[in-house]
Amino acid sequence: MAPQITLYTVGTPNGQKVSIALDELKIDHKVHQIQFSTNEQKEEWFLKINPNGRIPAIVDHSRGDFAVFESGAILLYLAEHHDPDHILLPEDPNQKSEAIQWLMWQMGGLGPMQGQANHFFRYAPEKIPYGIKRYQDETKRLYSVMERRFADGRDFLAGPYSVADIACFTWTAVNQWALGPDFSISDYPLVEKWLHRVAERPAVVSGMKPSTIIQDGFRSKITAAEAEARAQEAAKWILAEKEKNAEEKL
Amino acid sequence: MPFATKRTTTKTTTRTAADGTVTTTIETTTASTPKPFDITLYLAGTPNGKKASIALEELSQAYGITYNVRSIDFSKVEQKEEWFLKINPNGRIPAIVDHARGDFAVFESGAILLYLAEHYDPEGVLLSKDADERSTAVQWVMWQMGGLGPMQGQAGHFNGAAEKIPYAINRYTDETKRLYSVMERAFSDGREYLAGNKYSIADISSFTWTAYHQFSLGKDFTLEEYPLVNKWLHKIAQRNAVVAGMNVPTKITLLENDFKA
Repeated sequence: MAPQITLYTVGTPNGQKVSIALDELKIDHKVHQIQFSTNEQKEEWFLKINPNGRIPAIVDHSRGDFAVFESGAILLYLAEHHDPDHILLPEDPNQKSEAIQWLMWQMGGLGPMQGQANHFFRYAPEKIPYGIKRYQDETKRLYSVMERRFADGRDFLAGPYSVADIACFTWTAVNQWALGPDFSISDYPLVEKWLHRVAERPAVVSGMKPSTIIQDGFRSKITAAEAEARAQEAAKWILAEKEKNAEEKL
Repeated sequence: MPFATKRTTTKTTTRTAADGTVTTTIETTTASTPKPFDITLYLAGTPNGKKASIALEELSQAYGITYNVRSIDFSKVEQKEEWFLKINPNGRIPAIVDHARGDFAVFESGAILLYLAEHYDPEGVLLSKDADERSTAVQWVMWQMGGLGPMQGQAGHFNGAAEKIPYAINRYTDETKRLYSVMERAFSDGREYLAGNKYSIADISSFTWTAYHQFSLGKDFTLEEYPLVNKWLHKIAQRNAVVAGMNVPTKITLLENDFKA
């Protein structure tokens, strides 16, 4: 049988959310790795799928090649159409709403803000202390919100395991990329416990491949020099995309 | 669903004809109406807050339901007080508490929009009942939640900061403009609304941010380069519920001033 879904992605936190969800649902899917280095995400054929020119995006061949962009929307879409056992979203309306509330919290907060911390700390061509501090502080505030959430003894963010955990996991897992090698997630012990708990799930392990962050205990094992080299490499296409956007007004 | 009471409304009109004859017409209609629902909206006068007030006003216009407003005072940092953190652990606005459903709390404007559509919108005023139309609207809501809101928000921050940091101002201004161009491109296929030919929460969530473009990007910034976005902005602003919702918690002159800061 041909794959039901094609996933357009890269191994970044937003892409990994969808890989994990597809594996949780055991959906046979084809993976198309988008090449950021050639700005593939801004090519016409891809903009038809995602007018925003970003990853992830899916095309559902089992539903007339319906396209979905935005990781949060993909998670909700999969929960609606491909999740008869309610693995991704609880059936109970209130628990479902709580899961959606924390998913939105991640989409509007944890993702964008930790992403800005990544930018100012790793990719910006000049080091701007104000920017680094603003976004690192906000990322830590968001971690403290999760820490507080877990204080009532719950195992997952919103009732049972859900898309809320998937969405927050992939970003929290790479905390040191945004906050530096001297930062320790152990400062948020309940969040750390939750990271390990989520990482016990086989679909999370397979969805995160080829990243080794789980095996590395959510700590970056690379040297400062190697981190710098990786950052420079990524910065090349990040800044190239910016220039291309400006040229083409896209 | 809170659809219980029948409501009878009487409309009386009086007309005077040219010859002085006065005619009084009394129209009586009986309709099934949801009983007034009991939701408290916590907000301040910001784009995210107004997404919720607009949605509630749309439900009010469509179904005759009501809601309470509790303005949160940022100058007193009310949003971080314990009682409010119980409602929104993130200490931000908007949030709602649904007294008709056991004081269930909802935080995050995007989640509030989906919650209202699920529980209080039988006719699909906020969100289509068709699965694909609904997903398309949710995709654009997520696009706004993860992109337009946060990035235009950062532009506003750096444009308003005492210490001007050109790199940051440029970064977020450019990204906001890119996002406007994504909307411009979407409208180029002739669609009337962001998610197709039906108004939805996708329009509400991007409208409030686009409306405040000068507040975030400066008084010299206009939507001149985004004519279809500008046309859509003005079209959405014609809706009674949008006018009403934009004036919560207090009346503003943004719409009357044609979106100028």
